[in-house]
Amino acid sequence: MALTFLLIDDDEIERLKFARVLQKNNYSHKLIEAKNGEEAIQYLENAEELPNLVFLDLNMPKMNGIEFLKNLKSNSRLKHIPSIILSTSNNHNDLKESYEIGIAGYIVKPLKYEDYVQKIKCLIDYWAVNELINK
Amino acid sequence: MSNEDIEILKRALQRQKIARKQAEKILEEKSRELYSLTQELKAANEKLEDLVDVKKTELQGVFDNLVDAYVLMDISGNVMKMNHAAIKLFGYDIVEERLNVVKLIYKEDYQYAMASFQKLITNGSFTDYKARVYTKHNGVRTVHINASIIKDKNEKMIGAQGIVRDITEQLKQQQIFEEQKAQLSVIVENSSLGIALTQFGKIVQTNKAFQNLLEYNKEELLQLEVKDISIKEEYAESANHMEKLNDGLVDNFSVNKRYVRKNGSEFWAKTNVAAVRNVDGGVKYQVALIEDITEQLKFEKQREALVKDLEKSNKELNDYAHIVSHDLKSPLRSMNALITWLKEDYADVLDSGANDSLNMLLNKVDKMDHLIDGILKYSSIGQSEESKHNIKLQEVVSDIIDVIHIPDHIKVTITSKLPKIKGDRFRLQQLFQNLIGNAVKYNNKKNGEVNISCKEDGNFWSFSIQDNGPGIPKKYHNKIFQIFQTLDSTIESTGIGLSIVKKIIDLYDGNIWVESQENIGTTFYFTLKKQ
Repeated sequence: MALTFLLIDDDEIERLKFARVLQKNNYSHKLIEAKNGEEAIQYLENAEELPNLVFLDLNMPKMNGIEFLKNLKSNSRLKHIPSIILSTSNNHNDLKESYEIGIAGYIVKPLKYEDYVQKIKCLIDYWAVNELINK
Repeated sequence: MSNEDIEILKRALQRQKIARKQAEKILEEKSRELYSLTQELKAANEKLEDLVDVKKTELQGVFDNLVDAYVLMDISGNVMKMNHAAIKLFGYDIVEERLNVVKLIYKEDYQYAMASFQKLITNGSFTDYKARVYTKHNGVRTVHINASIIKDKNEKMIGAQGIVRDITEQLKQQQIFEEQKAQLSVIVENSSLGIALTQFGKIVQTNKAFQNLLEYNKEELLQLEVKDISIKEEYAESANHMEKLNDGLVDNFSVNKRYVRKNGSEFWAKTNVAAVRNVDGGVKYQVALIEDITEQLKFEKQREALVKDLEKSNKELNDYAHIVSHDLKSPLRSMNALITWLKEDYADVLDSGANDSLNMLLNKVDKMDHLIDGILKYSSIGQSEESKHNIKLQEVVSDIIDVIHIPDHIKVTITSKLPKIKGDRFRLQQLFQNLIGNAVKYNNKKNGEVNISCKEDGNFWSFSIQDNGPGIPKKYHNKIFQIFQTLDSTIESTGIGLSIVKKIIDLYDGNIWVESQENIGTTFYFTLKKQ
């Protein structure tokens, strides 16, 4: 089944990387991109169809990942969407705060592209076998 | 004689008779009274005699039992009478031998004695005569004498009596007391602490330091109350403490409070107040010791500011490490991805030279990433110092040996049992992992050996990690512990590992040094303080 992902990252190359993983591995999942939390919220509020998963960077301009997460979790229409952090660091405070607010996963972006591909494939395959809410 | 005359005579006779009878009666009564009076007088006299006897005995008793020595002498100074105390004091007994008081006079006091004697004769008495006397058994004693002249009925001088008190001990005690008092007052006067004695809020005594601190003189301070030299808002707190002291709830208390100098300026002082109590426990005085802590507070404030600054810069450094992590690593990740894509997407057109260049580029990116990781690790040491646990190093090091990559030709051995020490597990692991990792990584021998051992050395644990690797030239022995200094140019060698080691050892008040012979091997020695 084709899923819909919302990827929120201010770094264009990161967005390209994610898209490339989907494309190169012939995944049929749909990818929606947003440059920051604000843009993502705007999209979600107006979207007729909600994404199945959110992939989220933490350090972003305007509205950062944590702020977006809080926003999402306080919105009854959106709070069910599993969100997975794609972060640069495994900083303890970030981890703790994210899990406390409510996340479905926390991935540290590796340096090497091959490692990245590996991780994202794992992640997508995992979620593909899960039952998700479609709204 | 007429009848009338006879009648007159008769009546006169009758009256006379009656009058005589009355007189007789009165006489009889009077003589009876006289008799009883005589009897009473006689009885009274007897009683008086008894009384005199009693008094005499009493007097003798008093005389004998008088604590002070009593001496009666004639005008030539011959002792006529002395009581027990006198015998005891002088050691002479006039029952056994004659004694003249001149014999008792201490040589140097002779003039004074004679002058006093003259005064006795002129004035009839003297009091508070103080001089030294010789005694038979007790050497020279100092005595106090009150004396008076005794005269007979005709006002003729027949002798003198004196009450003598041995004041030698008393004088000695007084001297000791005076000396101690002087010593004490030297201490009090020269104390750098301001000392004041107060009574119900009134200042009753102060020392020099106290006067100097407050810039009042002694007399001025005596006119003041504690209230007058305190800050109004702070006085309540002190008064509260004082009340507890007075109620016997506490025996002393300590407050930091401000005092007002004569010129109105203020200073901070640490004030210790203790109660001086009566026998019944009531407060007689309060002793206050004050110490000017204005400077101290200034330093404390400075220190606080410094610590705050330090905390801030530490936090900034931490944040900086964070920023470094994110902002520097992101482009590296992008570069890695882009180079990888180049290689993938243009595999058909890239020749081996281009591929080599791209691979070298990837290596550089990789190295940069290691560097950033190293800096992050280095800068985070010393941030979590409160987490100290008992760490079994034997376990930690065994785990490291299991986890790190050790090629088959290298053998890592723990040659003596490693101790349990108090510390942070992660730091200790970093420490050993870096050293063991280096020893393994750089080993160039066919049969590589790494030996880890430990021994007790006073307050320290002394460790050694010995290898049979390439060795380190002597000129680098100090340099290797400096950050970014590496003897190797491979990707993983960032020159941070040993500086992390050094920094961790510094946290445990230890030391690290290296002994090495080129081509034979290297031994790293380090110590960790037992906590």
